[in-house]
Amino acid sequence: MKNPYLPIPMILKKAQIETSDRLLRTLELGFKNKEDEESFRFIPGQFCELSILGKGEAPLGIASSPTEKGFLKFTVNKAGVVTTALHHIEEGSEIGIRGPLGNGYPINLFEGKNLLVIGGGFAFTTLRSLVAYFLHPEHRAKVKEITVIYGARMPGLLLYKDELLEWERRNDLKLVTTVDWEDKDWKGKVGLVPNVLEEIAPSSENTSAVICGPPIMIKFTFPKLMALRFPNERIFTSLERRMKCGIGKCGRCNIGHLYVCKDGPVFSYAQLSKLPKDY
Amino acid sequence: MAMIQKKLREKTKELLAKKEVDLVIGFSDWTLPLRTTPIFIRTPEGAEHLVWNSFCENNLAAYLHKFSRLKVGVVVKGCDARSVVALNLEKRFPNHPPLLIGVVCQRLVDRKKVKKAVKGEILQAVEQGDLLLVKGENFEVSLKRDDFLYPSCQSCTHRTPHQAHILIGDPVEEVSLVETHPEVGEFERKSPEERWDFFEKETSRCLRCYACREACPMCYCGECFVDSSRPKWIEKSLSPSDLAFYHIVRAYHQTGRCSGCGACERACPMDIRLTYLTQKLNQEVKDLYGFETGIQPEAAPPLSTFDPEDQQGFIK
Amino acid sequence: MKLKLDKKNFEDFLKSLMEEYDLYAPVQPVEGVSVFKKIEQPSEVNLTQLVPQKPAKDIFFPQSEVMFCYEMAGKQSRMNSMEEIKRERILFGARPCDIEAISIIEKIFVGEEYTDVYFLEKRRKTTIIGLGCNHPLSTCFCSSAGGDPFLRAGSDLFFIDLGETYFVELLTEKGAALRKNRFFKEVDPNDLTLVKELEGKAFEKVGYSIPVEGIEKRLDLMTESSFWDRVHEKCIGCAVCTYLCPTCHCFDMVDEALNNKGQRVRNWDSCLFPIYSLETSGHNPRPTGRERTRQRLMHKFNYFPKNFGRVACVGCGRCILYCPVQFDIREALLYASAKRAKGLKRKFR
Repeated sequence: MKNPYLPIPMILKKAQIETSDRLLRTLELGFKNKEDEESFRFIPGQFCELSILGKGEAPLGIASSPTEKGFLKFTVNKAGVVTTALHHIEEGSEIGIRGPLGNGYPINLFEGKNLLVIGGGFAFTTLRSLVAYFLHPEHRAKVKEITVIYGARMPGLLLYKDELLEWERRNDLKLVTTVDWEDKDWKGKVGLVPNVLEEIAPSSENTSAVICGPPIMIKFTFPKLMALRFPNERIFTSLERRMKCGIGKCGRCNIGHLYVCKDGPVFSYAQLSKLPKDY
Repeated sequence: MAMIQKKLREKTKELLAKKEVDLVIGFSDWTLPLRTTPIFIRTPEGAEHLVWNSFCENNLAAYLHKFSRLKVGVVVKGCDARSVVALNLEKRFPNHPPLLIGVVCQRLVDRKKVKKAVKGEILQAVEQGDLLLVKGENFEVSLKRDDFLYPSCQSCTHRTPHQAHILIGDPVEEVSLVETHPEVGEFERKSPEERWDFFEKETSRCLRCYACREACPMCYCGECFVDSSRPKWIEKSLSPSDLAFYHIVRAYHQTGRCSGCGACERACPMDIRLTYLTQKLNQEVKDLYGFETGIQPEAAPPLSTFDPEDQQGFIK
Repeated sequence: MKLKLDKKNFEDFLKSLMEEYDLYAPVQPVEGVSVFKKIEQPSEVNLTQLVPQKPAKDIFFPQSEVMFCYEMAGKQSRMNSMEEIKRERILFGARPCDIEAISIIEKIFVGEEYTDVYFLEKRRKTTIIGLGCNHPLSTCFCSSAGGDPFLRAGSDLFFIDLGETYFVELLTEKGAALRKNRFFKEVDPNDLTLVKELEGKAFEKVGYSIPVEGIEKRLDLMTESSFWDRVHEKCIGCAVCTYLCPTCHCFDMVDEALNNKGQRVRNWDSCLFPIYSLETSGHNPRPTGRERTRQRLMHKFNYFPKNFGRVACVGCGRCILYCPVQFDIREALLYASAKRAKGLKRKFR
């Protein structure tokens, strides 16, 4: 029987500091064993438990898209014991992972509709996976217009800057970037994400909204989406909670009768409105 | 005791009616015999639920941290009052120092000891004078109350909470211990090997539920050393070294701060003896610095001050 | 199949079990404290305490358990999973509530998608000998919580204390494997009558007074009730109720390492500890005792029933008996039940 607590070995192929504050590092992991690679099937929005032996595990959303083969990408915010270790680990080292875990974004529900993606700060990882998935030639036709609003405190704190430039040049995606504090080279918008959303006012008609970011951003963005008449059933968010097992056993990440690790991390606002506010 | 209870209710009613306090923390009867439960009273009528008896075993000062924004009246025994004084010295009450409703303590009955003295489940226990009437399904016995006191109460030298703002009951003549706390003496008479065996045997039952920590008014650190991940001082499993580490550090953190109330030991579901360690430290502090926790409201705890005249003999 | 065992052969019987199995049973490290432990000598077994402090879950889901060991060599590592149990086990003297709790924990540990191999391995390799409760305590409310003092479900063999002898029922295939034990004898017809009598008395004593049935629906309406504002006040936030609870199954996973060797360990954890849900950022989704107490009670009586169709409480009464401040789960249940709410409001100011 498969032991769901045993990590599979990955090799850190490439690591790169993403942001000017040097607190975010993107890791590109390759599979050590061919069979693991073949059996690893995921959808955007799922996460893994990254394991550093001797330190422990940390749950991280998969930032790469299933359409990108041969590696998995994670962007790590340096905060606790494990994430600090993930910042120091050298290329070529072994890192364990358990996953893919969680439900992921409801890809099928998005099909045939417009997609509005709203992200803030370093919570852009699985959103990047989602957008990259639908930008892939094989999947682009599945959704109609894609609009991405992505904000950070300052330009240097935006993730995946090269890719954002590339997205900007595309004509099958509308990208709006915004910062709280601009610098001299900044060409995007200046302002908080909720205000930018209000300003560009995307239509809610036949549109799904996915929103990930710091709690304060979510708190103020949600009413704006309501004002744009997005129904609760078509607003999705990915929650973060302290987690250990990642498979619905250890108990700590429940919100009401649902577990963020197993039944989430992606929930619709219709679901969340029925649960206690334990998040 | 009935008189004390009556006065306690009257005083509480008055305090709440005159809005001198927002909340009174006291003891109430609840579902188990030989026990009481902490109760939080906000209305004058609520005072009727207060009780006073030999089962009022919690140190209610432990709740004061939770209610720092309210004006709180708290029912305290001699030992509990000392904890509040110690907390006050540690500047734990920046907004409203609690109002101490002191009760002269007749010393508490050790429920675990009583249970061992009878066969079968105890369903009812009442005090009558010096006697404790204990009833079960097929038995009824009367026990001498003083034979069943908690170790910490047996050696109590401060039954009257002189520090209290309101004192209920007549001050009693305090005994002064000639030699030492009995549980400390018992431990000290052992050889070093026997002491270690005893300590290890006791701590081996520890579940790390931290009831001892949570029951103690002095354990209020925002992050206890056992919970810190950076740095990680201690592992979280049940290895003998981790259990020993927890119990030694817990006891040491109490040096010069412990009032010897024994709430830690009473809270332990595994009946682990704890007070022989803290009482030993209390005794050392008394011998070295002439200091007893919470007796003089202004005296700073010796381990948080420095005096060139301090004893140094133990530094080698 | 029904048999009996003379009590004078009890220790020899245990010895005979130990020839083929690792035996686990209640022992008393000191008077007044009882835990389940691996037995070295039959004389250690002590059944005098009806409800041992540590529940039998400790045998299947130990408080502290090594999940796997590892060794690191340069950038490579080797892991060795520790789930395998070498010898078959017998759990003797667990009460029906504890045994029922094992099957409750099993619901979450043995899932459709993921199976907790550590739990399952122990579950599979353990034969459970249950022991009926002739004299339930006043804190017992198993019958209200869906069990009873003589519930056989979950046991492979079931013992009933008849004074001089134990009445023995072999209930499963695993249990039947012991039928040839040389100490078992045939039963007297009188014994059956005696069993009925004992059962009747115990059922009557334990009663059905705690309104557990329908609690899930009642609690649905109470998520934001002011009840939570007060009920938690006396809770000091220790883990007595959750660690001693036979159905509580939360755990933490930690690494313990020295130089290049280490192990990943899981330890019981408690939803009543503030650190349990505290996130690295400093945000705590359950910041006060109010949310934590609500989590404990709602998980048992609302969330768990929603997912598994049964309350996560077996009415053993441990959380009542051993709570340092007498938080009484029964009173909370009575409060939540409309019938008694009025009378109890007085007490829960």
